This record gives sequence, structure tokens and C-alpha cells, in this order.
Amino acid sequence: MSADPGQSELSAAEHHALVCVLDAIIPPSRDGRLAGAGELGVGQRIEEVLQQSPAMRPVIRQGLAALDGLAVRRGARGFAEVERERRADLLNEIAAAQPGFLPTLIFHTYVGYYLDPRVRETLGLEARPPFPKGYEVAPIGPARLDRVRRRAQMYRECP
Amino acid sequence: MSRADIDEIVDVVIIGAGASAAAFAWSLAETRMNILCLEQGDWMDPSQYPSTRMDWELGTIGAFALSPNTRKRREDYPINDSDSPIAVSNFNAVGGGTILYAGHFPRFHPSDFRVRTLDGVADDWPIDYARLEPYYAQNDVMMGVAGLAGDPAYPPKQVPLPPVPLGKLGETVARGFDRLDWHWWPSDSAIATRPYEGRAPCINLGPCVTGCAQGAKGSTDVTYWPAAIRRGVRLQTRCRVREITVGANGLADGVLYYEADGALRRQRAELVVLACNGVGTPRLLLNSRSKLFPDGLANRSGQVGRNLMFHPYAMVNGIFDERLDGHQGPTGCGLMSQEFYESDPSRGFVRGYSFELLRGVGPVSTALWAMARGRLPWGEGHHEAYAAAFDRTAGLLAICEDLPERHNRVTIDPLLVDGDGIPAPKIEYRLSENSRRMLDHGVARAQEVLAAAGAAETFVESPMRPAGWHLMGTARMGRDPERSVVNEWGRCHDVKNLFVIDGSIFVTAGAVNPTCTIQALALMIADEIKNNLANLLE
Repeated sequence: MSADPGQSELSAAEHHALVCVLDAIIPPSRDGRLAGAGELGVGQRIEEVLQQSPAMRPVIRQGLAALDGLAVRRGARGFAEVERERRADLLNEIAAAQPGFLPTLIFHTYVGYYLDPRVRETLGLEARPPFPKGYEVAPIGPARLDRVRRRAQMYRECP
Repeated sequence: MSRADIDEIVDVVIIGAGASAAAFAWSLAETRMNILCLEQGDWMDPSQYPSTRMDWELGTIGAFALSPNTRKRREDYPINDSDSPIAVSNFNAVGGGTILYAGHFPRFHPSDFRVRTLDGVADDWPIDYARLEPYYAQNDVMMGVAGLAGDPAYPPKQVPLPPVPLGKLGETVARGFDRLDWHWWPSDSAIATRPYEGRAPCINLGPCVTGCAQGAKGSTDVTYWPAAIRRGVRLQTRCRVREITVGANGLADGVLYYEADGALRRQRAELVVLACNGVGTPRLLLNSRSKLFPDGLANRSGQVGRNLMFHPYAMVNGIFDERLDGHQGPTGCGLMSQEFYESDPSRGFVRGYSFELLRGVGPVSTALWAMARGRLPWGEGHHEAYAAAFDRTAGLLAICEDLPERHNRVTIDPLLVDGDGIPAPKIEYRLSENSRRMLDHGVARAQEVLAAAGAAETFVESPMRPAGWHLMGTARMGRDPERSVVNEWGRCHDVKNLFVIDGSIFVTAGAVNPTCTIQALALMIADEIKNNLANLLE
């Protein structure tokens, strides 16, 4: 995988590797109710972030290239070809050599994943902004404060 | 500068359009004086507030961040707070800090005005609770305050609107207080819980602290300002004041300010009123140097910028086994406890603190919060760890009284400037030993309450760095011109037509959110000006 580090869009190979990384960061849930982050399409959001943050591009590109290089040294054709259960090990291995790569991706993966309407619905939330519908919350009952109300005066009288 | 700049002399120019300016302008406008307010920010558009978008949670790390150094809007000015464990939080717009505040509206206690007499520390205020009480009441009506009468922690008072709901999360935490037999009470909140004076009622959106899209929260752009403008006050936005100018007679004669296009203009005025908060006000005074005032305007006492007080905050979050519907209801307003408000020497510190309920957060914030605390692994085990945190956290904030100390201060940074080249403020602040002990006490008691409420474990952040919401004491009030900047009604000792009406004039900080006290003071000062118009400069 080689691409111009300044190029604004990831190549198809880079994007494919990115999707695999995202699935390693947030894999599908065991019960199958939640997809992995890559499968869910979080990669598209990260591409948008990269468009807006040029300084991030080389960090991600170099990280993906390093992952691919490591995968090749381990006998695979690239990171995307590594078995799913071994991908986390490779990510951990390159973490020290590419210090910004994994933390940056984790942050944006979490943001993208938990913004996704499908994830929110699975969590039991309505997939909508708070406004304009808001939420119904029951008012405080009239007797709720009786215990406190019976306390003696707590504030100090002042001269 | 054009001829027109020099010709118009207004009766009053107010600098800043936040909490205090709005109340002051509205009140003084009944005199039909020619009042002009200059604000460096603009009117906010509630349809653009984050709660209208799916990514509403990201507002706090972007354009609605607490710190101007993060937010970097055009109207913000940078603040060098690297020499302080607490970072300044503010907002620059019509409404000022009330755009982002939670809406907490507790009054000071009577004892807060008698700190020296009762507890032997700091100074007494030159006014007392009884003096402010009618202004508190007037302000509660104007801002639309929700709450419940009968709180044994306060002298009797009426509250215009019913309290904000507790919700499942609030009820859970309240049970902890009940089990310990400790005080708690629904928060006094500047939130319209019913339709009120043209404002729509609160619909429990949650993120009040990135602006209220519903218009239910009492930010002054929807409370005082429309009423003040109807009374004839002129409000000019995107005008950033560089300095206050002084005539040969030693009186303030106007201001120099930059318009949005960078043009420098002059506005002459008979009275100048500072309402720029506890950092912006000393910044402007210290930047207004002249032959008559070489150390900054109104600073012959050397007190301008000194005695900076924040409220040191501790945040304790409890993790519960059940879901709490924590994203429903006003984020910061729910309940308050003043069990530890009044001084008790056995605790190892003087003065005291309040607890405030902190509701839960949304899905993204949960992930980032848990990640920052090492509770959310990536890869294997991610979903299980996330499920254990999501919608299961409830927080308590301990808001501690800070005491005034000379060395805690605002100065002018020698290098940093804002977008118009105006020197920016620098904060020098250290936590006192008294504050540290109080924070530790608050953390331990919060853990006790949350455990009593059923929390399986707790997480502590103390002191909270991004909690410099309350900026007080830097142009303090007093009768002695050697030890204070303004008199008992906000008039500068050194410049008799210059007034300060924001949190700078606080003598002490209390242990509650200051906005309603700031506004009560502003209303009181406006009344004093009205009552003394004939001999204002004597």
C-alpha cells in the first residue's frame, strides 16, 4: 500500500485496511445485535474528519502503511488479509512506533460509532436529537420533601 | 475616527451584555436615559444550538466548549490560565455566560455577607442579605426561577415556578441523601418549567450547557434584553472595547472600541459601567492606563485584579447497576444539598460547600468518559464494558467556597493578545490549604451519598480543571478605598462616574453559583444610581 501522504482521500486499499482496523477497535457484539465499527460505516466518517483535518492524514496514512508492512513481514499480503483474531496483536505491536495512530483512531471510532442511529436504537434510545421533541419526566411529588421540610432552620442568623 | 464618533455623548455606556448588564440596563432604562451597551459577541441563534443536531454531544468540544482557548470564536479573547489549576470558562455573546450556564440560581446565605464577623476570615460585605433580598425576589421573577418554597437552608422566599423534575437519576441520588438523613432540596433553577413570559416550557432536552434551543432556560438574551430594548436601551454587538478613557478632571469620558471590521471608534459617555465578568473587567481596567492612572484605571488601591476567587469543584461519579435515564432533564439542575454549607470547626476547614446533582451523559460522552478512565477497552470486551457504563452514572459536584487571597489574581499577559491586538489576561491562582481540605471532605461525603444511593463504585475528579465558571473578587466592594475598588453600590472609589456591576465586586464567594447574586447586585446598583442622580458625582 503506497499513496501520497498529502492526498486528501484514502486510496481504496487504505480504506479497506481502515475498515479492518475499525472492526478490530469495535468488533461486532457477541450477541450479534451490534455490528463492528468498520462494517457499520464509521470509516466514511473518519474520511470526512481527515478531509477537515489535514494534520491527521499523515498520522493515519503512516499507521496504515506500518500495519500493512508488519502484516507482510508476518506472511500475509496486507493487514486486511490477516485473520480477525490476530489483528489486535498487530495493532498493539505498532502502537509504540506510531504513537498518534491508535489513540486518534480510537477517539474518532468511538465518536462515529456512538453517533450512529442504529447503535443508539440498539442501546434503547430514540435516534433523534433532543430538540424539538424533548423528554417527558415526572414532576416531583408533593410529599417528597416532607422529611427535609421538618428539619430545623439550617442557615445562621446574622447580626 | 470620524466627527460623528466624537459628537454623540450617551448618558450611560455599558461594556458587556451578560447577566449583570442585562438586569442593570433594564432597570436603569426606566429613567429614559440614553443607554448604550457594547458587546464583543453577537446575538445567538437557538436553532443552531447543538441539541438540535444528532451530534449534540460534540458541542462541548467544539464551538460551545467551555474554554475560550478551545472555542476560539472570533469574539473570544484568549486567557493564559497555564498558571492555575482551574481554567476559566466563559462565553461572549448577548447573554454572556448565561448562554452556557446550567441555570443554577441559588441565593447566597445571610452568613455569606458576614464572613469575618462569624468565622474570622476574609472580610464582611458592606451590605447584607436583607439589603439584597428585594432584588433577589425581583430578579427571580424577571429570570423565571423554578424551585420549591420551604427549604430550611434558606430564609423564607417565594419561587415563581414549580421545580425541575428529578427523574429516575435524581430520585436515586435523593434516596442516598434520605438514607443518611442529610439535607437536599430541588435546585433553584432559572428554567421555565411552565410557559412563562413568552418563553416555552422546559422539555428536558438535557444539554442546557450548550445553549437552550427551546428558550426555556433563563439566559438574558431571552429574559432581560428584549425588555430592556423595548424600554429604549440600544445594544450594539461585535464591538470590542479596548480601553476606558479619562478626561483631565479624572472622570471617565468614554471608551475606545473596535467594530467588527476592525475600525477603531470612540464613544463618549457621562457614565461608564463595566460588566465584563471577574476576568474581563480587571483586564479592561488594567489595560486603561493613563497619566492619571499609571497602574490601571481605578487602581490606586492596587486591588484591581487581586483576590480572584473561583469555586473549586470536585466531581464524584457513581456507577449504578441499573439504567437511570440520565440524559433526560436539565444537565446541571436537579437537586442541591447544603448539609455542609455553614462553618463547622470540627471539619478542619472554615466555611463550607454545596452539593449539586449532575445528570448522566449521552452515548458518545459515555464512551469518551469511560475511555479516559481506562474503563473502556477497544477490541475484546468493548461492548460489555460499555454496557456497564452507559446510562448508569450519576454525579455529585461539590462546589466549595473560595476565600480571597491577594496572590490569586488577574494580570495582563506580556505577549498574548486577542484578535484586535488588545493585551489578554493572565491568571495566577493557587488552591489554598483550606480549599483542599474542603474538596477532600466533599469528595468523601459525596462517595458516602452515592454509596447510600446504591452506587457500586465511584470516580473522583478533584479539583475539576475546566470548572472556572464563577469569576469573582477582582474589583471588590468595600468602604475603605485603600482595600477595595468600588463602594457599597458599585461606584469606583477613584473614578466617581465609573461603575462595576459584575462578579468582580464580590467580597467573598459563598458556596453557590453566583449569577442570581450578581444580578441582584446589578439591580441594586441601578436603583442607587436612580436614587442619587442629582448628586452622583459627589
